[in-house]
Amino acid sequence: MNWKNVLFLVRVERKSGRLIRGIKATRYRENGFLAYWPYWTAAIIGVLSALLANYIVSLVYSQAAVPNLPSLGHATLSVFVILPTIVVVFSLVFTLLQQIQLSGVKASTQVMYWLPITWQEHTFASIIANLLGFPLAVVVGLAAGVVTFSIPNGLILQGLLTALALFAAAFLASAATESLRILQVRFIGAVYKSSGRAAIWVRFVGSILFFIFFYVLYFYVTSGFQSFLQNLNHVQSTIWYVPFVWLAIALSYIFNGLFLQGGLFISLSALFIAGLYYLAVWLNTEFGLYEPPAITVQKSGIYTPKTGLLGKLGFSSVEAAIIRKDFRAFTRRRELISVFIVPIIIIIIPLLESQGVISGATTGQTSLTLVGTIFLLPAAAMAMLLGEIMIGEEGQAVWRIYASPISAKNLVKSKYFFVTLFSTIILLVAGIVGIAFYHPSLRETIVAFIEGFFIIFPIGAISLYIGFRGADFSETRRARMVRQEWTLVSFFAAAIAGAAILAPLVPYVIASLIPSSIPGLAGNSFYLAISVFSSGVISLIITAVFYQINISSAREFLRKAEV
Amino acid sequence: MYSQFAVELKGVTKRYNEIVAVNNLNLTLSTGEIFGLLGPNGSGKSTTLKMLIGLVQPTAGSVNVLGLDVQKQPVEVKRLVGYVPESPNIYEFLTGIEYLDFIADVYGVPPAEKKQRITEYLKAMQLEGREGDMINSYSDGMKKKISLISAFIHKPKLLILDEPLNALDPRSARIVKDFLHELKGQGVTTIMSTHVLEIAEAICDRIGIMYQGQLLALGNMEELRKTASLPGSGLEDIFLRLTGTEDLRAVVEELMK
Repeated sequence: MNWKNVLFLVRVERKSGRLIRGIKATRYRENGFLAYWPYWTAAIIGVLSALLANYIVSLVYSQAAVPNLPSLGHATLSVFVILPTIVVVFSLVFTLLQQIQLSGVKASTQVMYWLPITWQEHTFASIIANLLGFPLAVVVGLAAGVVTFSIPNGLILQGLLTALALFAAAFLASAATESLRILQVRFIGAVYKSSGRAAIWVRFVGSILFFIFFYVLYFYVTSGFQSFLQNLNHVQSTIWYVPFVWLAIALSYIFNGLFLQGGLFISLSALFIAGLYYLAVWLNTEFGLYEPPAITVQKSGIYTPKTGLLGKLGFSSVEAAIIRKDFRAFTRRRELISVFIVPIIIIIIPLLESQGVISGATTGQTSLTLVGTIFLLPAAAMAMLLGEIMIGEEGQAVWRIYASPISAKNLVKSKYFFVTLFSTIILLVAGIVGIAFYHPSLRETIVAFIEGFFIIFPIGAISLYIGFRGADFSETRRARMVRQEWTLVSFFAAAIAGAAILAPLVPYVIASLIPSSIPGLAGNSFYLAISVFSSGVISLIITAVFYQINISSAREFLRKAEV
Repeated sequence: MYSQFAVELKGVTKRYNEIVAVNNLNLTLSTGEIFGLLGPNGSGKSTTLKMLIGLVQPTAGSVNVLGLDVQKQPVEVKRLVGYVPESPNIYEFLTGIEYLDFIADVYGVPPAEKKQRITEYLKAMQLEGREGDMINSYSDGMKKKISLISAFIHKPKLLILDEPLNALDPRSARIVKDFLHELKGQGVTTIMSTHVLEIAEAICDRIGIMYQGQLLALGNMEELRKTASLPGSGLEDIFLRLTGTEDLRAVVEELMK
C-alpha cells in the first residue's frame, strides 16, 4: 500500500467541498490551522471538560462524608472501558447517516478510478474520509479528555491505551459503514432493475423508510442513554461474542491485570478490523464501479403535454413548470427526500413515547400542549426546512433559472406555493394522526388547524427569504443548499415568528391548563375567537412583509446572476 | 423594437478581482449573421457569451441584444434568446422529455406546438426511445443534444452557443450545422464559440479571435488573412499567427525529451 496515495485521497475528500464553495475560487489558499478547526476545537473542549471533571471529582473525593464511593481509579477505569463501545455505536450511526445524505454527484470521486491507485488504498482512504468532520471531531475530543483526565490521576498508560482504542473503534465502525455503503448501492441498483417504472416511487418510499428506521433507532438509543450507559459495562461482558465490543473487553481485562486475556481480545479486535477492511476492499473491487441502471420514468413515444391543475389555479405556464420541476426534484433526489423525514419523525417520536415504545413522556392522556405540538411543530418544521433550501436545491443547474425568462414574481410565487403546499399536507397528516391518537375536542381541533395555517404561511415566507440569502449551490460531496449559519438564523427567525403568532393564545392556554390562574378565561369562546383573530392578523402581516421582501430578494438574485 | 444590430457590445470589461477576463470589448452582429468566436482556453469567450444573456454582469460597458439592454430588460432578452452552455449542467432528475417540457413551458410555447416540436427534435437528434429515461443516465453527447433542443424549442431570434458541437456524433453535428444555416435564412442570428476551426471556417459569416480578453481580429476569412498577412492560408494558421502560438515545434520537442 502506498500511504502517500492514501493521504492524497483523504486530502481530496476533505477539500472537495471547500474548494467549490469558496467565493474566491481563483487563487485558493488554505489556512492550515483554520482547515482543521473542528478537531482543534474538539481537542480543546475535551481538555477543558476533563480539567473541569477532574476539579469536580477532586472536590467530591475530598469530602470524607460522602459514603460508599468507589476508589477514584476504579471509577475512572470503569468509565474508560465503556468508551470504545460508545464510539462504535455513535460512529456507526453518524457515518451511515452521512452516507445516506451524500448527493448523487460523483464528479470529484471518479478521478481516482483512472489514477494508478489500488482498491486497498482507495478503501482505506474512504474509511478515514467517512469519519471526517463531526464523527472524528467527537473522537478527538473524547481522546483528548481521557488523556487529560488520566494525567493528574496517575492513569497515563490506561488513558493512552483508551485513546488508542477510541480511534480503533471509530475506524472499525467506519469500515463497517464502507461495506454497508457499497452493498446499499448494489441493492438499490437491483431494486431499480426489478421495479421498472415504479422505481422512482420505490426509491422515494424506501428512502423515507430507511431514514425513519435510523432516526428512530438513534432516538431509541439516545432516549435511554442514561440506562444504556449504566448497564453497558454489564452488557459488554454478557455479549462478549459480538466483535464490536471486543476492544472494550480487551481494555477491561488489561485494566484488571489480566494481560493474557487482554492480549487475546486485542488480537481478536485487530483481526476483526482487518477482516472488515478486507471485506470492504473486496466489495469495492466487485461493485465499486457499479452504476445503478437508468430509471425509465415514462414509456417512449407517448408524450402528451399536460395543461394540468396548476394552470386552472391561476399559475402561469412558467410558474407551473417550476412547481412541477420542484415536485419531481423532491420525489427523485435522494438528498432532497430527506427533508420530509424530520416532520415525520416529529410526528412519530411523541407517538412512540405516548405508546411507551421509547422512554420519555409516557402519559397517554390528551393534553392541550401535546395536541398543539403535533398539529403545529411538524408543519412549522416542514415550512422552515423546505423554504430555506428551495433556492439552493437548484444546485449547479441554477444557470437554467438565470438564463430563462423567469421574473422575480414567477420565482417567488412558484417556490412559495411549493413550500406552503407541502407544509399544508404535513399539517393535515399530523392533524389526522393527532385526532386519532389524542382525541382533542372539536374546538381544539379547529383552533389547532387554523393556527397551523397561521404558522405555515409566515414561516414559509421567512425561510424562503433565508433561502435567497443563504443559498449554497455546491453539490460536491454533499448538496448543502443553504449555508449553515443561515440555517441557524432560519431556526431562530421561525421560533420568534411562531412565538409572536401564538402569543395571543397563551393566556387562554394557561387558563385551560390551570383554570385557577386566570379565572373566567378557560372555555371563554369570545376570548378564544379574539385571540385567534389577533394571531391571524400577526400572521398576515409577517407573511405580507416577507413576501414583498422575497420579491426584492428574487429580483436581486436574478440580477446578480453569476455562473 | 429591434435595432439594426442583433448584438451590440460597447466597451465591455469584466474583471474577477485582479483578473481581467474581458477587456474593453466592442462588437456588433447583424441580424441573421452566424458569428464564430475563437480563442485559446481562458481568452474570455465564454464570459463574453454569458454577458450576452445576463449570466455574468459586465464590470463596465453596455450589452444590447436585439435592441434591448440586457441589464435593464433581462426577462425580455431571455425570452428572445436560446442559450447552450459549455458544460450542460441540466436537471438530471428529470427525463429528457420532462426537461424539454419544462423549457417549453418556461418560454411559453403553446401545448400543440410544444408537442410537435419536441417530437420532431427528438427524432432529428435520434433521442427517440431514451426520452423517458432520467437524464442522469444520458451520455455527455445526449445531454448536449437535449441542451441544443432546449435552445431551439421556442424559436429564438438569437442563439448563443458555447461549444455547441462538442461531444456530438458526426450526424447530429451535421444536422446542427445545416439547421443553423436554415435559421439564418429566417433571420435568426447565431453567435457561437468553438475550438473546431474547420467548423468555424465552414459555417461562420464572420469570425472574431479573442486572446487575453481582447478581440485580436474580426472579419470574414479574407479579412482575417489580410490581418494576419497570410494570403491563401487556412484558419488554423491565421489563428496560431494571431495568438502568437505558431511556433509549436519547440514545444513539441521539449515534450519529447
